Amino acid sequence: MSSTDTAGQDRQRISLLRVLGPAHVWALGVGIVLVGEFMGWNFSVGKGGAMGSLIACWVIGLLYTCVAMIDSEVTSTVAAAGGQYAQAKHIMGPLMAFNVGLYLVMAYTMLEAADALVVGDLLSSVAGEMGHDALDPRPFVVLTIAALAWLNYRGVLMTLTVNFVITAAAFISIVVLFLGVQPWNPGHMLQHRELLTDLPYGWIGVIAAFQFGIWYYLGIEGTCQAAEEVRSPARSLPYGTMSGIITLLIAATMTWYVATGLLPWEFLGQAATPLYDAARVTGSTALQVFLFIGTTFAAIASANGCINDASRAWFSMGRDRYMPLWFGAVHPRYRTPYRAILFLIPIAVSFSFTGLLDQVITFSILSGLLGYTFMPVNMWMFRRKWPLGSIRRGYVHPFHPLPAIVLLLLCITTYFATFLGYGTQLLAMMCFYIVASLWFTFHRYKYVRRGDQFTMPWSRPRGY
Amino acid sequence: MSGKAYRPPEQGKAGQIFDSIFLLVLVYAVLFAPLVLGLTGGGTITKTVEEPTWEALGQNPTMAAQWEKLGFTPETAAEMITTRFDYTINPWALLLTAAVILGYFIFLIKFSEKEYREVINERFGEKK
Amino acid sequence: MDLWNIFEYAAWGISGLLLLWMLFDAVQVNRDFSEELLTSSREGELEDTTEKHELT
Repeated sequence: MSSTDTAGQDRQRISLLRVLGPAHVWALGVGIVLVGEFMGWNFSVGKGGAMGSLIACWVIGLLYTCVAMIDSEVTSTVAAAGGQYAQAKHIMGPLMAFNVGLYLVMAYTMLEAADALVVGDLLSSVAGEMGHDALDPRPFVVLTIAALAWLNYRGVLMTLTVNFVITAAAFISIVVLFLGVQPWNPGHMLQHRELLTDLPYGWIGVIAAFQFGIWYYLGIEGTCQAAEEVRSPARSLPYGTMSGIITLLIAATMTWYVATGLLPWEFLGQAATPLYDAARVTGSTALQVFLFIGTTFAAIASANGCINDASRAWFSMGRDRYMPLWFGAVHPRYRTPYRAILFLIPIAVSFSFTGLLDQVITFSILSGLLGYTFMPVNMWMFRRKWPLGSIRRGYVHPFHPLPAIVLLLLCITTYFATFLGYGTQLLAMMCFYIVASLWFTFHRYKYVRRGDQFTMPWSRPRGY
Repeated sequence: MSGKAYRPPEQGKAGQIFDSIFLLVLVYAVLFAPLVLGLTGGGTITKTVEEPTWEALGQNPTMAAQWEKLGFTPETAAEMITTRFDYTINPWALLLTAAVILGYFIFLIKFSEKEYREVINERFGEKK
Repeated sequence: MDLWNIFEYAAWGISGLLLLWMLFDAVQVNRDFSEELLTSSREGELEDTTEKHELT
């Protein structure tokens, strides 16, 4: 492109492309989360034992059902890139929106770091089995992040089409493992009778397990990040989210069943790649190869979706001047938030390099959890400021305010669960958001245009 | 939406760079540093077992067989098996954590509300 | 030096290339397009321009 071309374009506007369908939404949602079945969920076994983990899986499943109900109603009405961030901006106000935006960026960036870490770990353990000790995982960590960032840089349609294929392949590998261990023939390979123990910590361990129970589903709410790129958001988003939750419930149950039937809980509670290890124990090379591919694909799909979501949230904040305006740029050819993508690469890489999988995951979980705590409050205000019938909603969830109350109670319990065992990290994370909020309130907000933040064609909120 | 709208100052290049760097520093100082310095992580205690055998570690034959398939011996698995989370609750730490989280959300909601009123007034005009 | 070592170096190399490519492209875009155009996207404005993908 020469500089004469650009002169005439000064009045032009460029924006993200609206090209995605429901399958892409499913791939974005499930693609991010499915890796949670291949790694991370098993730390809940470490915190509360195998049975504790199963209870956590179900209770947190309830938490996410509430999240999906609430989120579908708000998202089908506020369809803008940035998802919950745009919701907070229209319903609760700028400071809350700034924080929600940060939650999204941190939750996804840390998840991306965890994904890359697992790819590196898996490769070094495979190299170890093939007789090469001490393979350096770092080049593979960087390669994973760099390659996916590059893909994201080059365009969203390609990115999510790739994600659809590899997510489906990873899901199939879980099903293959499930069938491969012959669940209809207990005692043959699956040894639940011998391996399952009583609750090692009693009931407090079950509560403590809630922390990593989040990991079975974390990120499913990311579907609404794509709102500006989906062809009919009001229909595609709730549909993609709901089908995603169902997929995850099935996958989580199968994963728990297979892993606890093959691995002693003390091992399972600390493993980096539990499903791959489960396949290793079966003694079948075919299953092992399958799960190697499945784990890698799931991690890549997840990191890919995370880069997509984190950069869109960061971009939206730049566009509103919550962050330096420089980040609000769209690539003129690929139509992607390219500067946001580049900026987040070093953060993901450095957290990956620490190798502390459970702690990187905890940062992600906490950021997610703060976001879920925001949702019930947001929902109450949404119904109060715009009662049913005052604006057009794509979807209205039933039983309000019951889901909001349940969600809030479960969030409080999960903070307590994180306090058990990861208390310092909880405080570090809170410290981060408090300093960032002070910075925003007393420094950053002066650059923000006030009225422009409200972009929805809605009536004036009641009571203002 | 007449002349009363708030006109923010444009932020220059230097300011934008400074703000970006500030955020990076914040991430590294508050989140990354405690991680690499080992201040965070599982509050666990590890019991040492003299002369570990599968029985001494409380593993039944099936469990022992699975450990061995994973490539462990009682010696190498001992630490994994005997590490336990410490769930004793320090009431002051719990109270402090609860206060921090609650205080944070109250601060968020209060300031958001104030800023939100400005946004609405500018977008829809002052309330008559 | 075995196959895995070669993989290590290859991984470093490819990631370096990809990162450089992105940086290079970003610098080029910054030079060729005005900042005003690059930051011209607005929230919620896409509703009307759904099928207009070309930049002409």
